[in-house]
Amino acid sequence: MGAFVPTNLLPHRPARIAVSSVLAIAIAGLIAAVLWAILDAATEPSSASRVDIPHLLRMTAIQAGLTTVLSLAVGTALAWALNRLRFPGRDLVVGLFAAAIVTPGMVVAFGLLSIWGRNGWINQTSEALFGFSLGNPAFGLSGILLAHVILDGAFAARILLARLDAIPATRLKVGQSLALSATQRFALIDWPAMRSNLPGLGAIIFLLAFTSFPIVLLLGGGPANQTLEVAIYSAVRLDFDLVGAVRLALTQIAVCAVVILLASASTPVVSVHGRSVAPSWRDAVPAQALQWIILLLATVGFALPLLSVLIDGIASGFGRVLAQPTFWWSLVTSLLIGSASAVLTLLLALALTLGRAASGARPVRILLGTPSFAYLAVPAVVLSLGFFLIVRNLGVAPAQAAPVVVIIANSLLALPFAVATLGPPLDAMVRARGKLIRSLGLSGWQQFWRVEYPLLGKDIGLMLALAFCFSLGDLGVIALFGTQDFQTLPLMMFRALGAYRSNDAAAIAAILLIGTILAFVGLPRLFERIAHASR
Amino acid sequence: MVKSTSMALAVLIGLSAVSAHAQDVPTLTIYTYDGFAAEWGPGPQLSAAFEPVCGCKLTWVAADSSIGTLRRVQLEGATTEADLIVGLDTAIAGEARATGLFADHGLTLDKLALPEAWTDAQFVPFDYSHFAFMYDTDRTATPPKSFEELIAMPEDFKIVVQDPRSATPGLGLVLWIKAAYGNRASEIWAGLKPRILTVTREWSESYSLFLDGEADMALSYTTSPAYHIIEDKDETIKAALFEEGHYPQIEVAGILKSSDQQELAKQFLAWFASPEGQKIIPTTNWMFPVVDLGADLNPAFAGLPQPGKTLQLSDEDILANSSAWIDEMLAAVQ
Repeated sequence: MGAFVPTNLLPHRPARIAVSSVLAIAIAGLIAAVLWAILDAATEPSSASRVDIPHLLRMTAIQAGLTTVLSLAVGTALAWALNRLRFPGRDLVVGLFAAAIVTPGMVVAFGLLSIWGRNGWINQTSEALFGFSLGNPAFGLSGILLAHVILDGAFAARILLARLDAIPATRLKVGQSLALSATQRFALIDWPAMRSNLPGLGAIIFLLAFTSFPIVLLLGGGPANQTLEVAIYSAVRLDFDLVGAVRLALTQIAVCAVVILLASASTPVVSVHGRSVAPSWRDAVPAQALQWIILLLATVGFALPLLSVLIDGIASGFGRVLAQPTFWWSLVTSLLIGSASAVLTLLLALALTLGRAASGARPVRILLGTPSFAYLAVPAVVLSLGFFLIVRNLGVAPAQAAPVVVIIANSLLALPFAVATLGPPLDAMVRARGKLIRSLGLSGWQQFWRVEYPLLGKDIGLMLALAFCFSLGDLGVIALFGTQDFQTLPLMMFRALGAYRSNDAAAIAAILLIGTILAFVGLPRLFERIAHASR
Repeated sequence: MVKSTSMALAVLIGLSAVSAHAQDVPTLTIYTYDGFAAEWGPGPQLSAAFEPVCGCKLTWVAADSSIGTLRRVQLEGATTEADLIVGLDTAIAGEARATGLFADHGLTLDKLALPEAWTDAQFVPFDYSHFAFMYDTDRTATPPKSFEELIAMPEDFKIVVQDPRSATPGLGLVLWIKAAYGNRASEIWAGLKPRILTVTREWSESYSLFLDGEADMALSYTTSPAYHIIEDKDETIKAALFEEGHYPQIEVAGILKSSDQQELAKQFLAWFASPEGQKIIPTTNWMFPVVDLGADLNPAFAGLPQPGKTLQLSDEDILANSSAWIDEMLAAVQ
């Protein structure tokens, strides 16, 4: 299992490799252009850096490493439990888990506090029942890890669940007839299906945790727990030390490159994919009990914070928000940007992953995998400054370029997620069916429409949901562009928060969350149906 | 469906057509921070009131933050479209002046009602408030009356502040403690460390933690209670006044040398600092006006307790030392 397939068994697809190479080089070029534009604009040499880089790197690496390990472990356990269990409202629970990662981090963090905080549900219950408070576990390293695992662990579970659900029924039947124990079933059937996703997922989670900024500051309890990202923000905005900022950004990219290269170089795993079917094979009772416990803990840990966001929103009342014309404009803008970014992400991700799957040469696979992840490692404040300078250098009015820049920037942010979602199944498919495709003499298009697309339908839906929700409106990248006429729902929420209007913000957060859950429940189903209907 | 499609089209078209039909009247392009230009902020009301007076058009261009407007102008240099920046404050005025991008305003500002006399040749003040810690009278019966009393509060009494590198009030607190304690600032910060629940990136995060009951006090402004009195009919949120005195945030506007609308820009600033412009400020930007509005000032503002003493630092002192003071703070609370 997991044997590396000799290249000569792969269908010969030079065009796919060429297209994805061009894309990968273009993304790398964009990152270089962003950094170069900043260096070019720097008028003064860098002042001596006041940042204790080794200390920050050590702190951040520990935090990001722990986040990654915990998130993957929790995600694997939860995917395993969700794959086996069937209960009313399961789709909603799955949707809720997936929603965490695309919900603005601040919303999740405040949801977490309303459960685990000093004045949260748990402490209030404990005080009412037992007359004492349990203290405040939500701050410090434990708080950061908890928030990150809620965001990333649940996301990992959603992606891994898609892999488990794609295990063909025939394979399960064989396993069942061999009377595999729950442990053997996990080791022989589940693990091979999931493990090809772990490197990509791990890299994404590490990068997100490494560059996390508001959550780390909010829950970190002070500058002792902070990331390089805040130092870079300070260099760009407060000190206006552009050379120093680029140097710090390069440091961050270099450290993250270790993780990115490991993920990009990972060996594809051969596994067979089928349509998801309702399982008829139940595990033994102790394993079932463990699955229910995992689900219960995950629900308390992950779903309650999001539920509290919904309840806060409902309690604040939607009327005042819905009555504002701005809300509807923001909604339309968000939907337009989300849709455009999702489509662009899909195109980029398909081009990259099809080309990567077509190649058996490790250096080529690294070249095609690295740039999309590297973009995640570029600090947001550096991106926003770089994009502003590039647009100006091109002679375009920033306000007019803003929508285009947002769509491109958000697509690139969502791209690693899409690559990590679509890459492993494509790798596996080509390697499992390469011989067949060659012997049938299918063209590249035929290979896509007859073999890859029908089996990818659900993954494409999941990826579109991810990219769409991701891109609803993070406008950080156009921070300097002049944004007063260009408002999205997340921006409207943050503006409301910044103007004392916390009720409006709570209502918008709840609306965002509902929309996100709907997208995650609906889009994968819709696309599975379309993909199968087109056959 | 038809309606949403046409709205969608309108958004796309609107984005490119915003500035199409305003060529015949002179236009003032003003860079500001996004809250100022927001629909509930002062921007739209200022436009509505000033445009008939001047026969001109105000175009607000909002960056994400106050310092973002300055950085944008610095990057654009002489090619900037901005005629004015509205929304810098006294903590970065020295740095802004040192860029050499700002012109003298040439106005006689002798009718101002500010906590300190105003002599700045480039920047015109348009609102102010003092930094202060908020508390909730339902939760805290006797708030601390000084930094030293705050330090001596019980173990579970927690405050939230903001990072001086990313939030204006965070920088304000660094200046406040420096102005009040000078060489003892580091000692005060070290004393505050056990009281600090967390240091957030933005003001809004600190304030939400406070309102949610996660912290007992949050760093904000003496004018913050006015919002709750006026909008929520809630009188339980109050600013704790400290005996050391308070450091003010004075927000300012300045004209760029590169502007070809110098006279119009001056006319705007003179109007903005007059009672006509100033009466818009309190209930849109939630700060004190810089002139005495008399009966036009909302009574919720008029009734707010004011600090007994206003602390000061010179622009030159801030420009030369703020980095070191921030490092001192970070080292002390690390």
